[in-house]
Amino acid sequence: MLKKPCGTFDETYEKDTALVRTPFRWVMLLLLLGGIFFLFPLIANNYFLDVANNLGIMIIAVIGLQILVGFCGQISLGHAAFMGVGAYISAMISFHFGWSFWIAMPCAAFFSGLLGVVVGLPALKIRGFYIAVSTLAAHYIILWVILHGGKLTQGTSGLPAHEIQIGNFTFNNEIRMFYLIMIFVIAVIFLVNNMMRTKTGRAFLAVRDSDLAAEFMGVNVFRTKVLAFSMASVCAGISGSLMAHYQGIVTVEHFTLSDSIWMLGMLIIGGPTITGAILGTIFLKILSQVVLFMAPWIGGIFTAFSGSSVAGFTQIFFGIVILLFLVFEPRGLAHRWQIFLTTFRLWPFKTPL
Amino acid sequence: MSFFIQLIVSGILSGAIYSLMALAVVIIYKSSSIFNFAHGSMVAFTAFLLWSLIVQLNVPLLISLPMFLVCLFGIGFLIQRLILQPLTGQPLMATIMATIALGDLFAGVVTLFWPGTGRTLPPVIPSHTIRLGRAVLSSESLVNFFICGICLLAFSLFFRKTKMGLAMRGTAEDHTLAQSEGIRVSWIFVVSWVVGILLAAVGGTLMSSLYGVNFVSLHGLGMKSLAVIILGGLESIPGAIIAGLIIGVGESIGAGYLDPFVGGGFSEVTPFLILLTVLILKPYGLFGYERIERV
Repeated sequence: MLKKPCGTFDETYEKDTALVRTPFRWVMLLLLLGGIFFLFPLIANNYFLDVANNLGIMIIAVIGLQILVGFCGQISLGHAAFMGVGAYISAMISFHFGWSFWIAMPCAAFFSGLLGVVVGLPALKIRGFYIAVSTLAAHYIILWVILHGGKLTQGTSGLPAHEIQIGNFTFNNEIRMFYLIMIFVIAVIFLVNNMMRTKTGRAFLAVRDSDLAAEFMGVNVFRTKVLAFSMASVCAGISGSLMAHYQGIVTVEHFTLSDSIWMLGMLIIGGPTITGAILGTIFLKILSQVVLFMAPWIGGIFTAFSGSSVAGFTQIFFGIVILLFLVFEPRGLAHRWQIFLTTFRLWPFKTPL
Repeated sequence: MSFFIQLIVSGILSGAIYSLMALAVVIIYKSSSIFNFAHGSMVAFTAFLLWSLIVQLNVPLLISLPMFLVCLFGIGFLIQRLILQPLTGQPLMATIMATIALGDLFAGVVTLFWPGTGRTLPPVIPSHTIRLGRAVLSSESLVNFFICGICLLAFSLFFRKTKMGLAMRGTAEDHTLAQSEGIRVSWIFVVSWVVGILLAAVGGTLMSSLYGVNFVSLHGLGMKSLAVIILGGLESIPGAIIAGLIIGVGESIGAGYLDPFVGGGFSEVTPFLILLTVLILKPYGLFGYERIERV
């Protein structure tokens, strides 16, 4: 929660509960939205729009994971698998029944949410590390089921999904999808932001800080944990569904264990807030793009070794970045962002760290 | 019936390697309560390192083995001092992510320096099949089984009879108490990481003598040992050994009887199905400490 600048007073209840508190913040928010919706599509070519689309899809999934990991304190190593469930259910509905995205997406969200509840059920008995392992097991089992689904999932060859349509308007190129995905991203950010200010959101934080204290305060810990699991999976389902319909084909390679780990890495780099999730996702995505740009150069150096050097180099880079953040910047980029904002608010005085 | 016996015997043989792998993680967890998710990659990395020393650089075995041990010692020391020591007192998520990132680092090094497949360690013993009653098994897997047994025995003797073993057990009980007895706890952590990597290397070598030096299978082996650890209980050494055999047999039987129905590859998920069942029914495993906490 942002602190108010000096001299801002809440005279009415509406002002006190508003998400955006000051006129200056309204201006900044509108500028940001204007930048996203008008400026970026003007200057970006199709390649950057594609990167931005994948980034938006990822942000939805990572915010879901943030609810579970950052807010509720449960660790999930199977988030990519839930994304995969959403993508596959959406693609199955689209491919086998020929129904539109607007039916497939809610179904995908619903079923992956349901699966999230099932995986969250062991939370009744276990916690911490054991939850992480049970989600890891769930990841392997889900992927195995997808791979051996026969005609339903078409195993390794991938499942095609139709393009998204409203009436006769088809979202068939990058720029149209960009607007659609950004609307979804903003809706998810808005909803999760609001959710965190309700009783449920506060219950998440209470459970994260201490199970025992939360239960003592009258929070139903089990219900809260399962709710966090299902919310995370619903976000993953939406993101997977968007991914399926954006790329036109779903394959298992998009939902591996290392994808789940990348998402956790984004949270580590970002820090435990919604801003953190967004910043972390952007940071790691940009980093992987940089590695991709440097690929010919890396290939030149490591040509003695192999052609698959880029994959290996990405992994090494990722591991080192995560370790550096863990050791030197455990509060993540969100903390840096907070310091940046505070500096502006308090200027010309010094920022207390 | 003979099919069943065959499955059980081959399950026990591979289960012994699982036990060894699980032990490597349990040792680290017992002393420093850090769960080593990098285990799978470490198994693969050490096997590739040994392959590089023996096959690529063609160093004679008597020199390469000490070199290998020195490398393992250095890696264990660096991991503990550079990465995990600064993370003391951080939340669980930090240590889990640290070991996962470490695993990625090792995996990346393996893909960067040793790409492709098809490497094999030179055979040390002649390969032929042995008939044991009704079961047929290869001489390599039998020798591997004995090596595993010797390692497990040597390790439990080290843990029970030596002064260092005593210090490690003390550290596992209580860090503060161990420190007040004059045990250097940070040093014990280093030793436990070194022992963990050593056991991982032994398991990786045995496994690659059977299936070749291959990242995917070695990494998968390390991941399967997760199931073993959970089944046996995180803190229990006998638990790890018994659970390794159970998982090995369960996997072999599951693969033998269910593969024709579900279309192959069922042994990949059997350990995880067992794991989920255990987590739901008996979360602290067969021999783990049962902490009474109501959630």
